[in-house]
Amino acid sequence: MSAGIRVASLDDIREGEGIAIDKSVTGTADNIALLRDDGGSVWALDDTCTHEEASLAEGWVEGGLVECPLHASKFCLKNGEVQGLPATRNTCPHRVEVRDGEVYLFPNEAP
Amino acid sequence: MTGGVIVVGGGIAGVSTAAALRSGGFDGDLTLIDAGELPYDRPPLSKEFLSGAKEIKDIALQPEGWYDDQSVRLVSRTTVTALRPGDGAVELSDGTFVRADRVVLATGGRAVRPPIPGCGNSRVHVLRTAEDADRLRAALVPGATVLVVGAGLIGAEVASTARTLGCEVTLADPVCPPLFQVFGEDVAAWLHGVHAEHGIKTVHSGVDSLDEQDADVVVLGVGMVPETTLAEAAELETDRGIIVDHGQVTSNPAVLAVGDPARLRHATRTGHWEAAQHDGQRAAATILGNPAPAATAPWFWTHRHALHVEVVGDLGAATTTVVRGSLGEPPFAAFGLHGGRVVGAVAVNDPTAVRAARRMIDRAIAADPARLADPATDLRRLLRGEGTPP
Repeated sequence: MSAGIRVASLDDIREGEGIAIDKSVTGTADNIALLRDDGGSVWALDDTCTHEEASLAEGWVEGGLVECPLHASKFCLKNGEVQGLPATRNTCPHRVEVRDGEVYLFPNEAP
Repeated sequence: MTGGVIVVGGGIAGVSTAAALRSGGFDGDLTLIDAGELPYDRPPLSKEFLSGAKEIKDIALQPEGWYDDQSVRLVSRTTVTALRPGDGAVELSDGTFVRADRVVLATGGRAVRPPIPGCGNSRVHVLRTAEDADRLRAALVPGATVLVVGAGLIGAEVASTARTLGCEVTLADPVCPPLFQVFGEDVAAWLHGVHAEHGIKTVHSGVDSLDEQDADVVVLGVGMVPETTLAEAAELETDRGIIVDHGQVTSNPAVLAVGDPARLRHATRTGHWEAAQHDGQRAAATILGNPAPAATAPWFWTHRHALHVEVVGDLGAATTTVVRGSLGEPPFAAFGLHGGRVVGAVAVNDPTAVRAARRMIDRAIAADPARLADPATDLRRLLRGEGTPP
């Protein structure tokens, strides 16, 4: 198991918001959205909505879900499951750890 | 144990009904009857599907395998010719009958063709179905002259798409500015002005005859009539729509109606995508005997000239309006307030403003206009009651 990639400080991500980590850093096919829910936990999903070209990192994070900024499809923060049309496909979750205020990402590892 | 359900019509309202029934635990027979091949999403018909950027398979409402996965019997290329609520059945265009305890009418609507001279001419188009869009796309060749009648949401989107396809576009509407009721006067005027910046000729006029128009292509975007034929033949109560109660039940308790044709007696239909989805979820809750999902402020989006425009709530109910950012310099938003509370908002390329406004409306949260107007105010934090100045 890898040690993870340090991609951000926890303070970089406000509660209820997200930031996108570029795929050149993560080595994944898509950028990865780091999303901080209203309870303070950080989750990671593929950044591009599965419906159209939109960044989930710019979405609204609330109640365990992120809402796409374009057409409001919602995805579960924990497992990437789509919760409502117009998107029909799940997005991919990635494992995240927060240690000493730093956010470590484990691309393509299940959370 | 509930008996079977038939959903008539595979638009967003019908498919949402079926999906909400299954996710709510409905385990009876579920049949979805649709005139097309595979139910598809309609918003792209005036945008990416019309431009050719997306094909029909790209705009499916659900993947093909979903119907089997969810045990939804999809009856394609079939219409319902009659409801037989007394017999607990519907009659199909192939002459067969399907039995069910409940029928949900998700029959959508038809594009209005006003009775003006030349309306039946082959160069006159409407846009409601994928077939309409295919036919229109074939006519929108570079250099074609296109007259779009009606600068509402569909007219504006078609004009914008036609322009990207290289057509010479004229957009005519007698209202000035078009859509002022939904966007508010100032934002509506600015949005309408954007057409001219993209080389579209806007004409402040209605069109009385299509005979004298020399355009290669005419597109009518002048509204929708709810499809109530089946309901009327079955003697359900109709009045500019199929009359339903708050649980989507019609005057016959075995029949429900959702989406464009359904209308609450004392309300106007909102007619948008999400409203149709919510109708389906309410109908499913009624059938399952579950509480109705919480109501939320109406919301829709539209897309023109690469601008993403969203509206939530009712700007017409506002007594004051505050602009966040600069009107005409996206991203910006306008919030409509009444009695110290947000009642509506419109945003151009600013989705966060509309998501915050929606929550302020739904939760009846008082909002300080000066802070709403300041682009430096974090709307998420404002909503949570954080960062309020002393």
